[in-house]
Amino acid sequence: MPLPEVLVNIEPGRNKLGVFEDLRHVQENIGYVPTREIERIATRRGVAVKDVHTVASFYPHFRLKPPIRVDVRVCDDMTCHLRGAHQLQRALARQYASASEHVQVRDISCVGRCDHAPVVSINEHYHEDTNFRQIVTEIDKELVAPRVEGHSHPPRSPEERGIAIQCDPYSSPTDHYSIYRSLLANKNFDEALAELKGGELRGMGGAGFPTFIKWEGARKSPGDEKFVVCNADESEPGTIKDRFILQYLPHMVFEGMMIAGAIVGAQKGYLYIRHEYELQTEVLNEELAHLREIGLVGNNILGSGINFDLEVFVSPGGYICGEETALMEAIQGNRSEPRNKPPRTVNSGVWGKPTALNNVETFCHAITILGRGGEWYHNIGRNGSPGIKFVGVTGNVRNPGIFEVPMGTTYRELVFDYAGGPFEGREIIGFAPSGPSSGYLPASLLDTPLDWDKVKALGSMLGSGAVVVCDDTSCMLDMALVASRFYRNESCGKCSPCRIGTQKLVDLLENWTLGINNPGDNKLLKDLSNVLRAASLCGLGQIAPAPIQSVIKHFPELMKRHIEDHVCSAGICFAGSV
Amino acid sequence: MAHHDSGPMTLTVDDVEVTVPHGTTVFDAARLAGITIPVLCHQQNQTPVGVCRICVCDVGERALQASCVFKAEPGMVVKTNTEPIQAVRNTLYELMLSDHPSPCIRQQQSHDCELETQAAAAGVLPAANRFKQRAVPVMQADDSSVAIHVDYSACILCDRCIRGCSEIRHNNVIARQGKGYFAAIAFDSNEPMGNSSCVSCGECMVSCPTGALTNKKIVGQSLFEDSDGDPTTHNKAYPVETEELLALPVFKGVSGTFLELNAGAVVKRMYKAGEVVVREGDNGSTAFYILEGDVDILIGGPRAHVTTENEQDGFFKKMVSRIRPKTQDVREGERTTPTHIRIDAPVDLPYNDPIAQLHAGDLFGEMTCMSFYPRSATVRAKTDCVMLEMLRNVLDVMQKNKTFRAKLEANYRGRALGTHLRSVPIFSTVSEDFIDILRDRVELIRFAPGQIICQEGEPADSFFLIRIGFVRVSQKRLGEDLVLAYLPRGGYFGVMGLLREIPRTATCTALDHVEVVKIKAPDFHLMLDRFPEIRLQIEAVARQRDKENTFQLQRTTERQSAQPLHQFLAQGLMDAQSLLILDLEKCTRCDQCVKACADAHDGVTRLLRDGVRFDKYLVATSCRQCRDPLCMVGCPVGSIRRKNSLEVIIEDWCVGCGLCANNCPYGNITIHEFDRDGKDAGTKGKVRKATSCDLCHDMKEPSCVYACPHDAAHRVKPNEFFAGMLGTNLDEAAK
Repeated sequence: MPLPEVLVNIEPGRNKLGVFEDLRHVQENIGYVPTREIERIATRRGVAVKDVHTVASFYPHFRLKPPIRVDVRVCDDMTCHLRGAHQLQRALARQYASASEHVQVRDISCVGRCDHAPVVSINEHYHEDTNFRQIVTEIDKELVAPRVEGHSHPPRSPEERGIAIQCDPYSSPTDHYSIYRSLLANKNFDEALAELKGGELRGMGGAGFPTFIKWEGARKSPGDEKFVVCNADESEPGTIKDRFILQYLPHMVFEGMMIAGAIVGAQKGYLYIRHEYELQTEVLNEELAHLREIGLVGNNILGSGINFDLEVFVSPGGYICGEETALMEAIQGNRSEPRNKPPRTVNSGVWGKPTALNNVETFCHAITILGRGGEWYHNIGRNGSPGIKFVGVTGNVRNPGIFEVPMGTTYRELVFDYAGGPFEGREIIGFAPSGPSSGYLPASLLDTPLDWDKVKALGSMLGSGAVVVCDDTSCMLDMALVASRFYRNESCGKCSPCRIGTQKLVDLLENWTLGINNPGDNKLLKDLSNVLRAASLCGLGQIAPAPIQSVIKHFPELMKRHIEDHVCSAGICFAGSV
Repeated sequence: MAHHDSGPMTLTVDDVEVTVPHGTTVFDAARLAGITIPVLCHQQNQTPVGVCRICVCDVGERALQASCVFKAEPGMVVKTNTEPIQAVRNTLYELMLSDHPSPCIRQQQSHDCELETQAAAAGVLPAANRFKQRAVPVMQADDSSVAIHVDYSACILCDRCIRGCSEIRHNNVIARQGKGYFAAIAFDSNEPMGNSSCVSCGECMVSCPTGALTNKKIVGQSLFEDSDGDPTTHNKAYPVETEELLALPVFKGVSGTFLELNAGAVVKRMYKAGEVVVREGDNGSTAFYILEGDVDILIGGPRAHVTTENEQDGFFKKMVSRIRPKTQDVREGERTTPTHIRIDAPVDLPYNDPIAQLHAGDLFGEMTCMSFYPRSATVRAKTDCVMLEMLRNVLDVMQKNKTFRAKLEANYRGRALGTHLRSVPIFSTVSEDFIDILRDRVELIRFAPGQIICQEGEPADSFFLIRIGFVRVSQKRLGEDLVLAYLPRGGYFGVMGLLREIPRTATCTALDHVEVVKIKAPDFHLMLDRFPEIRLQIEAVARQRDKENTFQLQRTTERQSAQPLHQFLAQGLMDAQSLLILDLEKCTRCDQCVKACADAHDGVTRLLRDGVRFDKYLVATSCRQCRDPLCMVGCPVGSIRRKNSLEVIIEDWCVGCGLCANNCPYGNITIHEFDRDGKDAGTKGKVRKATSCDLCHDMKEPSCVYACPHDAAHRVKPNEFFAGMLGTNLDEAAK
């Protein structure tokens, strides 16, 4: 029977805005998106069938075929891989090999719960800190009676962990948004920008670009319509800090966006959140409802003549959506493919309008600086590195988690003091300062401080602060392969170097871990890395060779043993386990 | 950052200074400086997208930039061809070639695959590729379009077809689908191209740099050549200029390059009044579009010659049989004789005076051209005529053209809907005023071979009448598809769901190129309300179908555990309703049965004493009256058919094309020549007609059985006759 239509208003000229809600509505009701519904959506929106199908088929969230009864998806990206996800997936696949009509076991890209690895999604419900027996029980439950509702757990709260959040300038919820209130009253935007500049606020998503330059750019860019976008699509393996911030500091994120809106002259703010963060979406929507109630969003806010509205935009999924222009394409209802730049987003962002896009933590820290002062923020950092940072430390450590630390803290302190150090009898051999993008550094560089420039000088990057720790049970070549697979899986496919090259990189590394080496392989890897770095359209393809290149650079002995002697001291490679 | 909003600016490209207007891309600036940057995804007439990355240049940024999209800036220093850039380009060619079949179809056909030629020029050869090839093809090749072949493995995702389709032609059919290494192009919601809303304008194929989208030339055929030997088309074929075609509204929006590639697949011919254009029963592969003039379209009048008259007193006296009209063939439950004969043209021919006219702007011969059915009628120029004769790729272009579709629909609604609907016996009483109501509401919809028209289990929202082609009706039973019927032109389906207000009870699939008339549920119900006698008949049909369905279901259940039945089933005997069997233990091979048959049928036997053996019986070559008669598929005039009983009969308007004889899996239909009689269609002399066993239906028992001196020949119902041996009666089991 035909579905009732979703009543998403269609903005003329922006016909695909809201198309994900149409598709989601269909999927929630029918379980998947059949062709006839794609055709209906296209007709209603006045676009071609291919325009709807092209996005429906792009995002892994949408199913174009009837779903299997139990869809089991095991995350096997960096942290989960370190915590046995690969073996778990193989065991589950074996267990249900004869029930493939009802149970499907496949992989899923990092879902942002690395502090509770391994993570398994069963019919889009996330099971953390899990193991084989528990998953089998859950699958069997699902086979008998499908789960109707229920969320996975929130990250552990500051209270639970007995810590105080330093960046929050508000001592009581009643004070929330007072910075915005006074800015609306005095309209001292120059002063606010100067404060951010003084605090040396940088883009916390990983690029470290000075925030005040971006906001000033968007402010000066001519146009009646402007946007603020908060990138809450953290999808890089190991990156879990935004989930924490969204859960416990939503007021700071929203207020940061509102301040940015006032400064750049935007009328609308999108908070773009990955769909796997259902609980955080709820928290944000509650906070947003509160904002509406107290009249801090809408038209002519507090009589200031300023209009600003906020929307929580739920992403249909994919790491590439975190690329700023790809994210904007997604908001516009397109395939999330990065744009050629220039134009820069401050001049031509969402719908080609000037847009200030920042990470969750950046907006949050803007409030810290405006509340506590640029000087406080600057000085809280240690060893000459200004600022504070939320960092996730995961992998082979006793107490993985999210920590708020002063900049300048060393990675050794993060791993040993905050995260409890390695397990009994184990030794740390390497770590990634920020997920796959930073590549891997050897344990000997653990004394490097958390500092944009110092980490960069090592050919790595501070990034979003997704520290992944590898001990001597792991193999760095295997870890490079795992990282390469992530890029291959998450490539959007727009440009040919990344679309084809990431697959060929995986092919090559798989051979290496199987002991298949050809004489020309080093030259081949060099050429391939070069084409990915130099010719890819966006950062994803450009950074894809980083993991293997870093392993070659920092772990020469390990590489030599693998390539020449076919020996893997962790016993992972050559054993057919790949 | 751009500093100037307008005015010319100067930059340096490979040491050449060039001054260009503001907003010029680096690629174009280089071109103006006389430097060609290699590129695959960019064409001058399309918006640049910068996806192939072959055109990357050093513009002083951190990474190389795609010059086709990167804007030139004043004072910029561009390097287009340094060694590092060449190295990047070469690896990129190598990457693309690693998953690309070399040589691809385009390279084989015309040596102009841009990827392969550019790579070769750069010294990158397919044989030396260092990368592992793609393990599983991203998509299987798609041959569903008549005009264009799709080979996904050759596709490099340059998006040129996408822009050609949407930006240049505004057809909006092609887009990317999927993601990453598994991204591919898709037509609509990933339909096979031939089933999609593609209008075959050819722009994508013309835009494609590789062998991913190639022109499907009809191999070995040029209309310039075949006119010499063939006496029916002895008049001269004139070439048609592409401009002349493009000036015709019916070719509006088609790529000129595409038409040029198909030169020879469409020609112009002139006919004098009275000249025959095509003749009924002939084979052919072309369709005709009338540019000027009128034609008569006709078939030799329905004559009785397939059934022969006999006398009640014995077959030996039937040495001389006389042709007579076949009036007694009207079956139970069929109230009216057919009023119209359906042919391969936008008109139906009246049964009693089978002649009609077509005019300028009409198209005929579609089924012959698309699906190679024999000509269903003779076409004779009434006035001097000018026509376009075309092969199926050009016909496809025309049929899918929006302008032509609109005209075709208008013609159909205006001229043919009434006779077409009323030619179906149960709708014969629909009044003219009701046809007027329907006229604006019906839709004409095309389906490609294999495409599903309606799916079992889906909501029933409309009724379908077949205008062109054959439709297979099937049901899913115990995991397998069971064919219930093959419906020809004039056939209808979709009744059960509408009548019972239940989901579709069967899946209807286009067997070849099919066009159906869709009548929506409310209009259908209105018709039943207005004409109660139609409702009565339709309900009778529905009840009959119910019964047949139950039977089929149970028979399939039987098939489940069919070990002892295996041979019986393998020989298809369970589908036969009446078998001529010879008991080989009694048979002396005297051939009396064959002689008797010949005597009963103008000296031409319809029986051969040969065939498969089952147990001690020989199953003679003689019509089995199959339940699912394959012979009925394809008859251009619908003269071989089954009425409400399960006997297969050949009506007397058979045009002798031989298709049914070719279709019969058991070789039980033969073609014979008869004396021409009645109104002549043009030529004198013999006329060919199909014949098959008629069970000597006017006699107590078939001549062959009667004639057997040894009691060896029997006409039996196989399921009943063999029930004892098989341990079950399949028919009984079905009830």
